[in-house]
Amino acid sequence: MSPSLRIPPVLLVAAVLHTAVMPQFRVLDTAPDVLLLLAISAGLVGGADRGATMGFMAGLLADCFLQTPFCLSALAYCLVGWSVGIFQARILHATWWIPMLTTGVAAAAGILLYAGLGAVVGQTQLISTRLVTVVAMVAVLDAVLSPLAIRAMRWTFDVEQRGAILLTR
Amino acid sequence: MALSRRNGRSRATLVFLVLTSMTVITLDFRGQDSGIIGDVRRVATDALAPVRDGADKVLSPVGNAFSGITDYGDLKDENARLRARIADLEGQRLRSADAEAERKALIELNGLDYLGNLPTVAARVVSAPVSNFEQTIELDRGTNHGVRTGMPVVTGAGLVGHVVEVSGRRSLVRLVSDPSSSVGVRLLPSGESGIADGEGPRRQLGVGFIATNAKVARGDLAFTSGLEGGSDLYPAGIPVGRVTSASSPPGELEQHVELRPAADLAHLRFVKVVKTKIRNGA
Repeated sequence: MSPSLRIPPVLLVAAVLHTAVMPQFRVLDTAPDVLLLLAISAGLVGGADRGATMGFMAGLLADCFLQTPFCLSALAYCLVGWSVGIFQARILHATWWIPMLTTGVAAAAGILLYAGLGAVVGQTQLISTRLVTVVAMVAVLDAVLSPLAIRAMRWTFDVEQRGAILLTR
Repeated sequence: MALSRRNGRSRATLVFLVLTSMTVITLDFRGQDSGIIGDVRRVATDALAPVRDGADKVLSPVGNAFSGITDYGDLKDENARLRARIADLEGQRLRSADAEAERKALIELNGLDYLGNLPTVAARVVSAPVSNFEQTIELDRGTNHGVRTGMPVVTGAGLVGHVVEVSGRRSLVRLVSDPSSSVGVRLLPSGESGIADGEGPRRQLGVGFIATNAKVARGDLAFTSGLEGGSDLYPAGIPVGRVTSASSPPGELEQHVELRPAADLAHLRFVKVVKTKIRNGA
């Protein structure tokens, strides 16, 4: 199966996880952001181009279930996916915990970017004391889930285990 | 050479996607949830509804167990608070058997409407908030059942929020605790009017515009005022909450008043959609 055929079912599963499964598992009223995690993993595994594209599509899905302006998440997630993809070559041969740490930092940056862009377009309620909790918790939860997401992305993009991120080393 | 070509392509992709996003954000602002973007949201909500229903049914017991673990400390505190509250209520019941009659008289005196005359649609809460920022819930009733955007949502205890988006089989409700929610309230027995703003999950509502000389005390009741002021205008007379603290710091022009929502927003399972439309004054 070609990667382009694998992307729609992966997005669908991620959307279900994001909207129905993960909201059940909240810590401090915060759920992991599966669709942001998908964008970051796509950048880590597939590089900047795929990171941006997957980030955009994942963000669009997230926007379908939000009240903030449509495409706000898509904009933030595609920027995050692209940025992570830029550093892909350096992370590629790093030890197992580097991708997890990268995911955590990128997730925190993604949430801050989303809130910041939201504030620019008039969604000032996104900037509050709660933002600190959301940034910290999403960073931790997405980092914990990153090995699974990276495996899923490796399958999606048909990337060989060897030569990709050496998670099992 | 190949690397530089790949970087150039990824930059081009990024620029294209960023421009597309900015265009759609602008269109969404102009369209205000009508047109194709509103349709996309409604179709996505309806399309995923059966899968999300199934996942919710299977996973809600696991989720409850998980929240029981992560919120163990909070649950113990809540248990202790509830025991104290039961004792208080028992005392109150014995002291003032006519409290309910007095409350009704006060409502009548202030010209508030009774919700009981309005038609309602019972609905089940099928999804907890999807976003980490928005305080919304999803109901299993939509336009097919007469639900429309703007309708207030209540429980037996009081106001929950109002419908902000509706598709054929689903409706999205913004809770009064959402940071973008504001409700015009009247405090009883003082009769003071103010605006109750949402401040996020498990936090009380902050009431603004209460003068420092107003006689507001802990335990006062707050009902929707039906007056202009809040960004969302509800019919008058719906219980919103009870005052938990009121103070006038020196130098301030208004009191700091906090309300505990009357409805238990953290554990909603069934609600009623009131078939009357609110106007959005924002």
